Amino acid sequence: MKSLDVFFNCREQVIEEWVNAIFNTYPLQSTGFLRTVKDPFTNPVADMTREAARTVYEAVSGWDKKPEDVKQAIDRFVHLRAVQAMLPSQGIMVFYLLKPIMRKHVLPKLKDQALQDYLDAESRLDTIVLMAFDIYMKSRETVAENRIREIKNQHAQLVRWAQRVGGSPLEQEGKS
Amino acid sequence: MAKLPTPEELVASRPEFPAQSWFDYKPKFEAGSYCYPAQKPTMELMHMPNPHDWDPAADDWNLPENWKEILCDAFADRLAKHRSLKLFMDICVRCGACADKCHFFLGTNDPKNMPVLRVELLRSLYRRDYTLLGKILGKTIGARELDYDIVKELFFYAYQCTECRRCSLFCPYGIDTAEITAIVRELLHEVGLGIHWIMDPVKNCSLTGNHLGIKPHSYKEIVEMLADDCEDIVGIRPKTPFNERGHEILFICPSGDVFADPGIYTFMGYLILFNELDLDYTLSTYASEGGNFGSFTTFNMAKKLNAKMYAEAERLGCKWILGGECGHMWRVINQYMDTYNGPTPAHMQTPVSPITGTVFENAASTKMVHIAEFEADLIKHGKLNLDPSRNDDLVCTWHDSCNPARAMGLLDEPRYVLKHVVNKFYEMPENTIRENTFCCGAGSGLNTEEIMELRMRSGMPRGNALRYVQQKYGVNRMCCVCAIDRATLPPLANYWAPGVTVSGLTELVANALVCKGEPKRTMNLRQEDLPHLDEEEQGE
Repeated sequence: MKSLDVFFNCREQVIEEWVNAIFNTYPLQSTGFLRTVKDPFTNPVADMTREAARTVYEAVSGWDKKPEDVKQAIDRFVHLRAVQAMLPSQGIMVFYLLKPIMRKHVLPKLKDQALQDYLDAESRLDTIVLMAFDIYMKSRETVAENRIREIKNQHAQLVRWAQRVGGSPLEQEGKS
Repeated sequence: MAKLPTPEELVASRPEFPAQSWFDYKPKFEAGSYCYPAQKPTMELMHMPNPHDWDPAADDWNLPENWKEILCDAFADRLAKHRSLKLFMDICVRCGACADKCHFFLGTNDPKNMPVLRVELLRSLYRRDYTLLGKILGKTIGARELDYDIVKELFFYAYQCTECRRCSLFCPYGIDTAEITAIVRELLHEVGLGIHWIMDPVKNCSLTGNHLGIKPHSYKEIVEMLADDCEDIVGIRPKTPFNERGHEILFICPSGDVFADPGIYTFMGYLILFNELDLDYTLSTYASEGGNFGSFTTFNMAKKLNAKMYAEAERLGCKWILGGECGHMWRVINQYMDTYNGPTPAHMQTPVSPITGTVFENAASTKMVHIAEFEADLIKHGKLNLDPSRNDDLVCTWHDSCNPARAMGLLDEPRYVLKHVVNKFYEMPENTIRENTFCCGAGSGLNTEEIMELRMRSGMPRGNALRYVQQKYGVNRMCCVCAIDRATLPPLANYWAPGVTVSGLTELVANALVCKGEPKRTMNLRQEDLPHLDEEEQGE
């Protein structure tokens, strides 16, 4: 059996365990809801987690995935973790929770000569984590930018008005 | 050799769960999770009880010595005063129907942001002091005695509720969690705990009539400046009647529409529309604020700030009041104004549109009509010459602002208007609109920048739905009738659905409005080129 097929056959089990491991990073009383409600708008956190998990696992397995598609799939998920009350490491580390699960389910089923395939898969995960890191940083910058922009907007008309008090400067003013 | 933690060890964010019950788990006051406290001079000036300096991140909040007595007495007082509160304390069966309906819970996944548990913070105190079982069995049935940490906990979670009332919609008993949050905030103000972003506008409103504390002459000059902009765009300078007696209508809108982007475009829309209708109205520099941040502190403060509306209508002799696009202003008007400030001055009359003759029976009591109702009526009677193609650069969606939607049922009128002024309109998913609408995440005085991070997670359910229609239909404009939304949704959209801009309804009405005698319009209210200009030039 090809390595890719081994990854494929374990797909549902690995994704489910991984998603649950991510849900377990939230308080116990919240995880039941996260696990059970499927609607993307009623339970957006679970929806974005599942969207990210599926694409990431498929990309890690070695399926043909464009980097842009992977970025798109993890975008909401990383945006969420970037503003939830957790450390940056905790925000991103959930990607690495996939490794022990793959080592449990996928690695034992691969033949010895396929070890390189497995290592390649883990390396692909490392790449995805770096992509996530970029999105994470961009998200944090957006939060900071939002704060600045909001302060400016609140008083935008006041500044315009203050500059007009006493009449607009003449066009020639300041020119020699 | 030192041992590095494993990824699992790094992400184990629940060391306290389930080892500790939610009862004992205390919130962490970290930057970005709490609002800055109200300043002592502000609280003194507003005669708020027990004004003092304090820091939410500090261990000691410098509460008055007898804080416990003050809070227990105040709670007893509120229970006696509001029968609804007592009822809400007694009847909840903790069924959990509300639990997953709160945008704060969905965004934070913090169990105490489930409305049922947020209220349980107060209910546990009630159970201990007011129920026999609670007195006897205590903690085993979820009763607890007030302590210093609980005060902090109440503060933490009372300001993680935007009083949007989405949870109430799903409660089989109709428990209004927003009212409970309002009471908790009121109790906290008794021991001098308020937030700057709310108390500062309250102070400004008390002194000058608007949130930013802009004095009458400056307020007027800013409006004149916006009228100048209207002239640049439409070619006709709209009238700006101020404090004039004897007009039929007094117009009151949130001051955010005068001072803040993108609200100003909505305000310019009002001016252009009223000018086109030759409406017999006046603005007021005294009632220069429809918003009422008093409603986020205490009922008495809300009543005081709201009184200016009728007082000004009486002073100027206006028959009725037309209200602008504001959110909580309409909650106060629709639900509390009669009790606060009624009955209306004797000369005021049930509003009748001077253009269509429609009698607004629904406003017979308050004498206040919402601008969306007014506009929908105009359009229904064919009184506006509209060219929706002027908004063809926009693919719009409609955000039902919580207060107009859930507190006054304003669901179809704004949609009716919007569909007549734009050609491209798409709804967000069904369970995120109309009565089910998700809050912007920063209403009820939480639209302050220091909690931007919190706002991005609490607004996530709204942002998520917006992103969906952006990707599916190419939506690039979200419209709403709330000034707080117009302030809070742009950063939210920038985070969750970058590329979507936000506007009020009347901005788009004025864009589409073909005014009598206007020269050919080339710009929209934002002074951007109108769509189809190139095609028209080629045609010519």
